[in-house]
Amino acid sequence: MSNNKGFKKWMSENLGMMFILPWLIGFLIFKVYPFGSSLIYSFTDYHLFDGIREWGLMNYVEIFTKSRIIKAFKVTFTYAFMTVPLKLAFALFIAYILNFKIKGVNLFRVAYYIPSILGGSIAIAVLWKAIFKSDGIVNMILAIFGIKGLDWLSEPGYALFIICLLRVWQFGSAMVIFLAALKNVSQDLYEAASIDGATKWRQFFSITVPIITPVIFYNLVTQLCEAFQEFNGPYIITAGGPRNATTLISLLIYNNAFKSYEMGLASAQAWCLFILVCTLTVIAFISQKKWVYYSDEDGR
Amino acid sequence: MKKRIRQAVSLALATTMVLSLAACGGGSSEPTTAASADSGSGTPETTAEPAAAEGLTVNTTDPITLTFSWWGGDARHEATQNAVKKFMEKYPNIKVENQFAAWSGWEDKMSASFATGTAPDVNQINWNWITSFSSDGSAFYDLNKVSDILDLSQFSESSLADCTVAGELQGVPISLTGRIFYWNKTTFEKAGLETPKSLADLMAAGPVFQEKLGEEYYPIALGEYDRMILMVFYLESKYGKPWVENNQLQYSQEEIEDGLEFIQSLEDNHVTNTIKGIAGDGADSLDKNPKWMDGRYAGIFEWDSSASKFEGALNDGEEFVVGEEFEDMGDANGGYAKVSMCFAISETTEHPAECAALINFLLNEEEGADIMGIERGIPCSKAGLKVCEDKGLLSDKVAEANAKVLAYVGFPLDPKFEAAALKNSDGTYYDVMAGLSYEDYDVEEAAELLIEGIEDVLNK
Repeated sequence: MSNNKGFKKWMSENLGMMFILPWLIGFLIFKVYPFGSSLIYSFTDYHLFDGIREWGLMNYVEIFTKSRIIKAFKVTFTYAFMTVPLKLAFALFIAYILNFKIKGVNLFRVAYYIPSILGGSIAIAVLWKAIFKSDGIVNMILAIFGIKGLDWLSEPGYALFIICLLRVWQFGSAMVIFLAALKNVSQDLYEAASIDGATKWRQFFSITVPIITPVIFYNLVTQLCEAFQEFNGPYIITAGGPRNATTLISLLIYNNAFKSYEMGLASAQAWCLFILVCTLTVIAFISQKKWVYYSDEDGR
Repeated sequence: MKKRIRQAVSLALATTMVLSLAACGGGSSEPTTAASADSGSGTPETTAEPAAAEGLTVNTTDPITLTFSWWGGDARHEATQNAVKKFMEKYPNIKVENQFAAWSGWEDKMSASFATGTAPDVNQINWNWITSFSSDGSAFYDLNKVSDILDLSQFSESSLADCTVAGELQGVPISLTGRIFYWNKTTFEKAGLETPKSLADLMAAGPVFQEKLGEEYYPIALGEYDRMILMVFYLESKYGKPWVENNQLQYSQEEIEDGLEFIQSLEDNHVTNTIKGIAGDGADSLDKNPKWMDGRYAGIFEWDSSASKFEGALNDGEEFVVGEEFEDMGDANGGYAKVSMCFAISETTEHPAECAALINFLLNEEEGADIMGIERGIPCSKAGLKVCEDKGLLSDKVAEANAKVLAYVGFPLDPKFEAAALKNSDGTYYDVMAGLSYEDYDVEEAAELLIEGIEDVLNK
C-alpha cells in the first residue's frame, strides 16, 4: 500500500520527465553517443572494415599538414564568408522592400520564401546544374547578346561562386525573420526622423539597422553555422570539383567516411569543423557587445 | 575409446567429402565458351583447401524471409523481380524481400550495411568489394560450404579463384567484363571516315573532326577513369608486362610518363575533349551526356556489358558499332577482363542454404537464368549461358563486345586497381588525370603522384 503511494508520489513529481523521456532517449542515442564516440575515434586510425590499429594524434597531424585538407578548410572559409554576408544583405534588402505597403505584397512574400523550402532539395541542385552547364540557360542567354559563355561548372574560379549563389538564393527564412523584426520598429521613430529631414537611406542606417541588430546577430550566427556545414550543393552540382575547388569540409568528411572508410580521419575533421564553428560563434557573441543593441538595456 | 572412434569416423567422412568436391572441381576447368574463358586475373588465393560443403538442406516447410539487394537500371530491376517471383513460386515457404536502386550512392549505403552487419542476406556485389569489405572473410559467407546447393561446377576455376579471398569463396561470379571501344558510325561517316580500327586511325581522326565537323566534335570522350584504364592498356601493350604483380607496381617513372604523354597527346590532337570540357557538359555520366546522344562525341571506351546502355542513349538515326581493340598499341595484348559483379551471401545470414538456393536458381537453373537473361552481362555460369544461347537472349552487340574483350585479355588485373583511394572521384586516378588535363601538373609530377598513390594502396 505504501509502495503504491510512494510510486504515485514519485510519478507526480517526475511526470514531466516521463513526457520528455522519448526525446531524451533519442538524444542520448543519436546525438550524445555519436558525439562522444567520434571524439574517441578521432584519436584512432579507425577504418570501417579494418578496425582500429593505432591510437594517437596522427589524424590531427594529417589535417594540419595535408594540402588537400587544408585546401578544403580554405574553400569552406571562402564559401562561408562569401555566402553569409551576401545572403543577409539580400534578405534584409528584400524584407525592407516587402515591408512597404504595396499591392500583392503577400504574393511576393510567398514567392521569395519558396526558394528556402525548395533550395536544399536534390531537384533544385540538378536544375542548377542544367542552368550553368556549358550549353545551359545562362550561356544561351549570354550568346543572344553575343557574349561567349563561361565554363561555370568546370572552371575552378567560377564553380564555387555557382555553389554560393544557390545558397544565397535561399534567403527566404532569413528574410521572414527580418520582416518580423522590421514590423516591430516603431513608426514614431521614422515620423520623427522625417520631420527632422532624414532621407530614407539615413532612416534605414540610423534607425532600422540599429534597432534590428539583435535579429541581424541571430541570423548571422545561424547562417554561419549552416554555411560551414553546407553539403548538398557541392555534392550534387559539382561533386567537389573541378580540381577540388568546391570540396567543402563537410563533403571531405563524407568522402573520407563513406567512400574511403577512414572513420578516424573523418571524425577528426568533424571535430575540427565543430571547434571552428564554436570559435566563430564565440567571437560573434563577444563582438555583439560592440554592435548589437538590445532595447531593454539602459542607455542603448 | 568411443570418442576416438567418433573422431576417426568424422575425419574419414570429412576427407571423403573434400576428395569428392575436388573431383567435381576437376570437371569444371574446361574453358569452352568465351564467357567462361580465363579472366587472367590476379594470383588466386587458393593455397588452402576450400571448405567442404556443410551438408545443409533447403528448408521447404517453415516460413522463411530472405532479403536480396542489387543495383541497376529499370530493365535489370524488372528481370530480377520476375525471377525472384518464380523462385518464390518454386519455394512457397520462402519470401524474398527485394531492395534495389540505381548505382548512384549505392556503394556508400552498402558499405555501411556490411560494416554494421545489417546487410541483406543475398547481395549483388562489385568484385572489388570482396577485398574492400571482407579481406578477412568477415563480411561474406564462404560459398564452398553450400556447394552442395549452389552448383559451383558451372563456373570456371579461374573465375572462382578471383572471388576467393582469405581462403574463402566470398562471391559467385555473375559475368566477366572488360573495356572496349564503341563508335558512333554516323558521325564518323559525316567526317568522311571509317570507324577506327587502330590507334593510328584514331589519332588521325581528331584533326579531321575538328576541320570538317567543328570544334565541338571529338572522335572519343574519355573521363578520368577511362583515361587511366586506357593508359594501362597502352603501357601493357607496349612494354609487355602487367601493371601490378605480386603487389608491386611493375612500371618505372619514365614508363608511366610515357603513358601520360600518350594520354595528353589525345587531347593535343583533338581526339578527346579536355576534362574541363567534359565537366562543363554538366552530365553525371557519358551515357547521359547530350554530346554523346547527338554524336558530337563519336566514341567511348567502356565496359562490354554497357553496350546496350550506350546504344540506347543515342538519338534516333545514330548508328552504334562495337569497335576493335587496338593491336598497334604494342606487341602484347594490353587488355584485361575482370569479374564484373558477384552474388554473395552475408556472413550474418540465418539462412545460408536458402540463400544459396536463390543464387543457384538465378544463375544456374533454366527458369531463373531465362528471366535474368544478360541483364548483368554474358553469364559466367555455363548453364546460364546455355539457356541464353538456346533462347536467343544474347544481344548481338553485348556478345560481340564480350567476345572481343575476352579474346584480347593479356594480363591479370590486380584487385587493388579498383581500390577506393585510387578509383573514387576524389582518388589518385582522378587527381592525376584531371590535374594533367587542367595543366596543374606536368607529366613528371603526375607520374610521381600516381606512383605515390598506387604504392600507398599496395603497401596498406
